[in-house]
Amino acid sequence: MSRSVKKGPYVDSKLLKKVLKQKEIKSNEPLRTWCRSCTIVPDFVSHTFMIHNGKGFQRLFVTDDMVGHKLGEFALTRIFRAHGGVKKKETPRG
Amino acid sequence: MPRIAGTDIPADKRIVISLTYIYGIGKALSEKILKNINIDENIRAKDLHEDQLTMISGYIEKSFATEGQLRRQEMQNIARMKSINCYRGIRHKIGLPVRGQRTKTNARTRKGRKKTVAGKKSVKELG
Repeated sequence: MSRSVKKGPYVDSKLLKKVLKQKEIKSNEPLRTWCRSCTIVPDFVSHTFMIHNGKGFQRLFVTDDMVGHKLGEFALTRIFRAHGGVKKKETPRG
Repeated sequence: MPRIAGTDIPADKRIVISLTYIYGIGKALSEKILKNINIDENIRAKDLHEDQLTMISGYIEKSFATEGQLRRQEMQNIARMKSINCYRGIRHKIGLPVRGQRTKTNARTRKGRKKTVAGKKSVKELG
């Protein structure tokens, strides 16, 4: 089920605060974050995030198109290493 | 055979049903359309007046994306997800189910025909 519209998108308030602060001082240092469920809002555009994937951080530069998605959608939590021998064509993900 | 929404040619069925032959219109939407513009849904498509037909097609065109337009929209959405490399986009790229279905078994629609891996089962049975 999707989230009630009444509440608006879920944005981690601490993360948003950090982003707005960065905006003020015009820095673009990667922000480390664990809140994968945080929605990407327009304020995030052209900032860089380091998103936790359970093990380490994955770098993400946010573009216009990503608004509305969650941060976690861009940091995969699983690594697929290709099946042996015959099927080397399969694209590895992660 | 009347023409509505571009190339579609619904037959001599009730108009609710024949509208569903248009890509992007199902039974529910078809009922809603006819209710909104006040046309009895039981009239056969061939018995409709010329102006009723233009009313229907005009209403559909200005309110909903159908046929080619809808297909283009869908493709664009998928292309967008692929280009930003989000989870759903990646699943589209590698041809696996996008909406969290299991892939241990089944998922054959997305994965295509079974590729048998030699010796996979027998190894398990021995072990």
